[in-house]
Amino acid sequence: MYGYLGIDVGSVSTNMVLTGEDGTIKQSIYLRTQGKPIEMVQQGLKHMQAALPGKLKVIGVGTTGSGRHLAGVITGADIIKNEITTHAIASSNVMPGVQTILEIGGQDSKIIILRNGVVSDFAMNTVCAAGTGSFLDQQAARLNIKIEEFGPLAMQATVPVRIAGRCAVFAESDMIHKQQMGYNVPDILAGLCEALVRNYLNNVGKGKEILQPVVFQGGVAANAGMKAAFEKALGHPVHVPSYYDVMGALGAAMLAREATNRKSTGFRGFEVADRDFKAGGFACEGCPNVCEVVEIMESGQIIARWGDRCGRWSNALTQQARIS
Amino acid sequence: MSVTVGIPRALLYYYYYPQWKTFFEHLGVKTLVSRETTRGILEKGIKSTVDEACLPVKLAVGHVMDLYDRVDYIFLPRIVSTARKEYICPKFLGFPDMVRNNIDHLPPLIDNNLDLYRKGSSLYNLFYTVGKQFTHNPVRIMRAYQASMAALNNHCRDMESGRLPFETCDSNRHNRQDQDVGVSDVTIAVIGHPYNIYDRYISMNMLKRLRDYGANVVTADQLPEHVFRREAGKLPKQLFWTLNQRMVGAAFYYFDRPEVDGLIHVASFGCGPDSMTGELIERFARQDSRKPLLNLTIDEHTGEAGMVTRLEAFMDMVRWRRQLDDVAATYY
Repeated sequence: MYGYLGIDVGSVSTNMVLTGEDGTIKQSIYLRTQGKPIEMVQQGLKHMQAALPGKLKVIGVGTTGSGRHLAGVITGADIIKNEITTHAIASSNVMPGVQTILEIGGQDSKIIILRNGVVSDFAMNTVCAAGTGSFLDQQAARLNIKIEEFGPLAMQATVPVRIAGRCAVFAESDMIHKQQMGYNVPDILAGLCEALVRNYLNNVGKGKEILQPVVFQGGVAANAGMKAAFEKALGHPVHVPSYYDVMGALGAAMLAREATNRKSTGFRGFEVADRDFKAGGFACEGCPNVCEVVEIMESGQIIARWGDRCGRWSNALTQQARIS
Repeated sequence: MSVTVGIPRALLYYYYYPQWKTFFEHLGVKTLVSRETTRGILEKGIKSTVDEACLPVKLAVGHVMDLYDRVDYIFLPRIVSTARKEYICPKFLGFPDMVRNNIDHLPPLIDNNLDLYRKGSSLYNLFYTVGKQFTHNPVRIMRAYQASMAALNNHCRDMESGRLPFETCDSNRHNRQDQDVGVSDVTIAVIGHPYNIYDRYISMNMLKRLRDYGANVVTADQLPEHVFRREAGKLPKQLFWTLNQRMVGAAFYYFDRPEVDGLIHVASFGCGPDSMTGELIERFARQDSRKPLLNLTIDEHTGEAGMVTRLEAFMDMVRWRRQLDDVAATYY
């Protein structure tokens, strides 16, 4: 038995997917990154190995997400791809004919427009993080609500409260104000969902033609309140795929299949989960740029470096270990 | 003993440096350009500029600070307008004052006005008033002026033939950024202010990155003036910002060109005109085109991940779409 591994290391979650040769998902894992991407990748690999039949052989690895280079070095990925491409690929495979992808993750949100199965336009949130998963997380914590309960609670709302969604900081003060006025929690949560959707459509989705079918994915798609708010704002149904939270990893696995076509994999095996990786860094004093160089060490040996603008450090390593 | 005039490598340096340099040379004055942008220069600029200023202005202040103790004068012409009934951004207009009020121990500034807004105003006025400070011989000033105009013309022709300003501005002309690049299979138009896209630090080396991804890069500055003006004339109302007129005109032009596969609009965060140009490009220039357009906003952040992700995804999209078009062309 053979399989392809896809790893998506995001700001909030680290996801892994193992697909069979036909692209169907055999196993998926969703972990919180908690600011420790290396450990989470290792932990994920351990979980993955434990859950798989022993004779399964990984013949391709793809990584994506903001930590894709890191994960790529650790696992020996065959392909390292940005998250927009992987999300688009996964979606158009899971739901052929999809024309709009709404993706809201931990610290970014994006909209991808597909026409005839090909990405024709995309946008990501700019310098503002309002309307992303982290914000919902924070507000849920402030109201003492588990993020898992957020969606069901918001669905109980009868009259969603209007909350300013332009800026996360002001949304918060608006929310506190509404709370003090005596509005009940479900109505506030539903109002928050609607505010985020409004902000998303005005900011990320600005000027984009949102055609059906629409797929809503990313960690925030777990929130039923957000799905309902999107449906209300768009006026047509929004589909949440069953593997909505690992779509990036799924796309990476699919790309790995393409990349290893007639080639052997660079996968270093599940054993890397037990090796000792350390990320260190230093500020290069070579010029006034003072680049923050990152070093990835495996058992005391440097296997990758990046972050320098001039290439002085990253080029000093062998070609194979060099990233970006 | 000859005097040295410092020219900051910022703002309109990318358009006018060859002209300024030639002018001063003909008057027997040496010129010194500030060093290429580094984190140090930017940080100095940010520290000593008012918070409301945009990143390019802060950076320009940093470049002045890089120069001020090494030269006898600093050349900061007060650029109000470079074309009739049009303006340059007001921050350029106030730039010499911003510098004067924020930096101590400055050498004398040469901040004569360049204002071509009114009928009958002439570019020569600026050069005459500047030249007078170095020589009393009006013929010499006139000759220097003529040589400087020839240099500017050359610079424009150079850009129109496909070179980028930093390649023609730099003293070492052979030191081109794209030497190590192989074949390029797609053409990307990058539309943005020259001081944003040609500054390797501020743009996070965007042009080089695009070339590394196999793109042939074209910019608004490679279009002759009459072309971008004609194209910008397609807007329902004329813009009164010269720089943004160039950007919008170029967007119109490149959306129409079959060989251009995609456009990237680069704006600096907090730039009023840029935020509007982005909208105008999206609404008018793109009206009849399906070509991909990417809006990038740059600011002080040094994390390159966001930029890299967007550029990579954009290139993937451009290639993917072109492949599909090729397939369609074979079958239909």
